[in-house]
Amino acid sequence: MNKGIIFCGVGGDGIITASNICAVALMRANFDVKKSEVHGMSQRGGSVNAFLVFGKKVYSFLPAKGSLNYMFASEKLEALRNVDYLNPDSKLLVNDRIVPIVGANIDEAQIEESLKSYSLDLKLINFNDLAKQHNMQKAVNTIMLGYFSKIIEIDKKHFIRAISETLNTKLIDINIEAFEVGFNLK
Amino acid sequence: MRKIISGNEAIAIGAYRANASFASGYPGTPSSEILEYTKTFEDIKVQWASNEKSAFEQALGASLAGRRSFVTMKHVGLNVAADSLMSSSYTGVNAGFVVVVADDPGMHSSQNEQDTRLFAKFAQVPILEPSDAKEAMGFMQYAFSLSEEYDTPVILRSTTRVSHTQELVYFDMHKLGGTEDKLLAKNISKYVLVPKNALLRHKKLLERNTKLQKLTNETPLNRIEQGSLNVGIITSGVSYLYAKELLPEANFLKIGLSWPFPIDLAKEFTKNLEKVIVIEELEPYIEEQLKIAGINNVEGKKFFPQDGEFNLDIVEEGLVKASFLEKSHKKYFEVPKNLPERPPVLCPGCPHRPIFDILHSLKVYVTGDIGCYTLGAAPPLSSIHTTVCMGASISMGYGIAKASQNHKVVSVIGDSTFLHTGIQPLIDAYVNNVAYTVIILDNSITAMTGGQPDAVSGFNIKNEPAPKVDLENLVRSIGIKRVFKVDQYNYKKTKEIIEQEINTKELSVIIATRPCVLAPIKIKETPYFVIADKCIDCKRCLRIGCPAIGYKESKAYIIEDLCTGCALCAEVCPTLAIVKGESNE
Repeated sequence: MNKGIIFCGVGGDGIITASNICAVALMRANFDVKKSEVHGMSQRGGSVNAFLVFGKKVYSFLPAKGSLNYMFASEKLEALRNVDYLNPDSKLLVNDRIVPIVGANIDEAQIEESLKSYSLDLKLINFNDLAKQHNMQKAVNTIMLGYFSKIIEIDKKHFIRAISETLNTKLIDINIEAFEVGFNLK
Repeated sequence: MRKIISGNEAIAIGAYRANASFASGYPGTPSSEILEYTKTFEDIKVQWASNEKSAFEQALGASLAGRRSFVTMKHVGLNVAADSLMSSSYTGVNAGFVVVVADDPGMHSSQNEQDTRLFAKFAQVPILEPSDAKEAMGFMQYAFSLSEEYDTPVILRSTTRVSHTQELVYFDMHKLGGTEDKLLAKNISKYVLVPKNALLRHKKLLERNTKLQKLTNETPLNRIEQGSLNVGIITSGVSYLYAKELLPEANFLKIGLSWPFPIDLAKEFTKNLEKVIVIEELEPYIEEQLKIAGINNVEGKKFFPQDGEFNLDIVEEGLVKASFLEKSHKKYFEVPKNLPERPPVLCPGCPHRPIFDILHSLKVYVTGDIGCYTLGAAPPLSSIHTTVCMGASISMGYGIAKASQNHKVVSVIGDSTFLHTGIQPLIDAYVNNVAYTVIILDNSITAMTGGQPDAVSGFNIKNEPAPKVDLENLVRSIGIKRVFKVDQYNYKKTKEIIEQEINTKELSVIIATRPCVLAPIKIKETPYFVIADKCIDCKRCLRIGCPAIGYKESKAYIIEDLCTGCALCAEVCPTLAIVKGESNE
């Protein structure tokens, strides 16, 4: 049975890179992997998502509604925007923060309440604060990936290798360190 | 090699393996990354052109020089290169020549969703439609030999989901043998399309069609896949993947070479099946081919939409309507209805923002163009009134200004778009004495598509230093007298000049010179912050539409991480409540 992940967030916050690392890690874990994303307008601060489907043999790049097992969201509003891809068995990791929208009034408490109202296995953690504590502000998503690797039950070694294969040489060490921070988070 | 690659990377690798040695193109989502991957191959001479027509003809020239060549563009780019396509179908090629066109069903970043398959039919050139990255690589490779064997340009049609999706592909980087460079083609009766020659070439083209018709019924690119059910699905591109995922037991006719359409194969396929449907994104191209040929027991658009991008849910709904599938009762969550949308916006520090804030305050009519600055149409800036196609800002501004002299008209256009198709209408405006204001937003890069260099950037696709066009000299050389350069971060001076020029009864060109904040270098200066005590809740800074400015408890605040220090908010704040430096709160 194939499994699927949605990565969602705000354009420019590194969601696509996180999904790239995850795709390579799954490939290293011997799965067939298909990934779908959209470039273009979405890079300018708009909503961004990427889908990753993995298993023995995958045909479709795009998952059906309600079919995804996991969500990796770098922002709460964007997590909420994509709940239709999830079902009562899905597991979510959401960065506990809101990115303002130009011209919109966002009721933070209501967004959070709304997100919690779904009967979901939801982990809400502020990874930006965690990154600040470790002086790793540029690797927030990698810290998240460290924690996420435990949720999707993929061996850490595949992610470490994927980080080395995906990122610019200068960024590899700090990102492996960041991954460990997330991985060791209880 | 085992690697996760995108469709665009696969196309570049396919070209490399097929011994392509020349590539040109104009950036356009979702096609832009093809040349960006191609530039990593040293044996391929690769460049960005100023528009698709120029790129197309450069590559055609390379083909005549005896080198395998290709050109890349998005679907609407082919409109610009349509002239070249229609006639190169008559001349044919020398070395293999492939036209890569990426369609954008669903318009993720486009102004329309036209279907390139109809262009192939119109121009009578073969078109290949891969479904995924693996096929894209193979089809691209094959396209060059198809082009040589049948003496024709070949279109490789990708779509957003093929170009931008990634999958695991096994491949090696060996070049194929048996593709020697050819001699420069010197054949006047073939390549000089005066009527006498062109009439003969038209006959040749029709002969070619007969041969291609035979090929399309025999090629493994069009294949029948037997299933256990007594129903059939005819499909192509990504639609094949959705259908295969949902109903793998059906019989499939998968189309990879869609023009000319394999009619005999389709007749054979449909003959013994109880029900057959066509699943294709956008136009009912396949469906029409079938019905014209008298294959009437098929339906397509009766069950599937003719607009937008397909996905599993849409294809499933169509299969249910066609009684191919039972309605499923999957559980999924509903997204709350009142959720605020998060549309794309101009980046923090974007040099276009001051211009649109000024135009908004001056209440002029603004004809816009294609690029990041199209986002100036979105609230709260709401200052662009038209965006139709590349270069249309200057020509439509011309039409409005000349047809009705009661309106103050401003045309805004980026540097890359100006060089693409903006120069000619500006010449028209000059020689016909049309009085209005043209603002060239010169950020010195093709920003919207990810920061590709253009003719004013000073470097080329390989990041090597390159000669650059001086826009001011170019505009002055037309003969236009009122030409001004402004730095938009100097808000007051910029506003003064724009105001002065829209009130002048003469053609004027204002060149706004601030570079893009993202490319080629990310610009991040000391951020600003709001002194809360001085903020009077007037919301003026919110009306510049900067994503780095938030609002909480009747006060504006600035998100340090996002602020690039452009100071526009500080310039417009009436109480000087916004200052440079990090807040110590």
